[in-house]
Amino acid sequence: MPTVAMTPHLYHFFPVLENRKITLAAGSVVELLAAINEIAPGFTDYVLDDRGALRRHVNLSINNTMVVDRKKLTDHVPDDATLYIFQALSGG
Amino acid sequence: MDQHDANRYSRQIRLPSVGEHGQQSLLDARCLIIGMGGLGSPAAMYLAAAGVGQLVISDFDRVEDSNLQRQIAHRSVDIGEPKAISAKRTLEALNPRCRITAIDWQLDDEELADQVAKADVVLDCSDNFATRFALNRQAFQSGTPLVSGAAIRTEGQIATFLPQDGGPCYQCIYPGDLEGEESCALEGVLAPVVGVMGSMQALQALLVLLGRTAGLAGRLLLFDALAMEWQSVRVPRDEACPVCAGRKAVHDGD
Repeated sequence: MPTVAMTPHLYHFFPVLENRKITLAAGSVVELLAAINEIAPGFTDYVLDDRGALRRHVNLSINNTMVVDRKKLTDHVPDDATLYIFQALSGG
Repeated sequence: MDQHDANRYSRQIRLPSVGEHGQQSLLDARCLIIGMGGLGSPAAMYLAAAGVGQLVISDFDRVEDSNLQRQIAHRSVDIGEPKAISAKRTLEALNPRCRITAIDWQLDDEELADQVAKADVVLDCSDNFATRFALNRQAFQSGTPLVSGAAIRTEGQIATFLPQDGGPCYQCIYPGDLEGEESCALEGVLAPVVGVMGSMQALQALLVLLGRTAGLAGRLLLFDALAMEWQSVRVPRDEACPVCAGRKAVHDGD
């Protein structure tokens, strides 16, 4: 089952996700995000826009390679993969 | 290189990856650093110390007491001074042979394009998305390598973009018009996090100047200071990117 990890800042908004190993059934990115939303309601609103595409300041990688399909999130997350969720930083 | 420089940089020259030839490349180089805050301070200080010949530093803010926790190029006596001027003093004291040009006003598009084109490498140490996208555009227009760093809270990100190699750009990672601008003033930042990221920017800039770019291209490094972990994310070029799509690699002899 794929593992989900994320930038620590997201735990501030979704503390239920902190300090737990998140493993979900393999599937497309959009399916995994929906499953995370079951654990942490509101999660998809934070990372997806009103059309269901990835928000511009959010990005995802599967096994340390950025996802290709930001609009429909069809990239497949296989069983042995880690889906990592991160966001743009502007501070300097 | 005279005897003074040979002595001063001897610990770098000793490295096979640098040598006299590499050190001379650094002495001949010109770097543009945008932002003299938390990232720009250590980045500029390491580049000056390492023997980069000319640094152009740009920041139109003034030093405030709340900056001093992490912006190590500035001192308490500098409060109220333009950051570019304050940092110039620090860098000149660190290495009097490094030529420092301080720009303490906001560069317009034309001035920015001119400075980027003149530089051998640009370091984005800014604190806002608008500057990040503008620098990315100018770097790819002029073919100048860009080392982009960012840090806030306990997190950092760094990527080097090499226009001449046909690789991805900043906008391939984050499409334009970003929402959710965050600032260290509102979100906070743990002091050494900007030191880590600014030092990494200096390191990557030195690798660019030394021609050792194989490990830099197409990678975004993410730093989580609380977990003390780095992640390396491979970044493909967005074939629809308005900045870099269709750009081909340029190699010597082409």
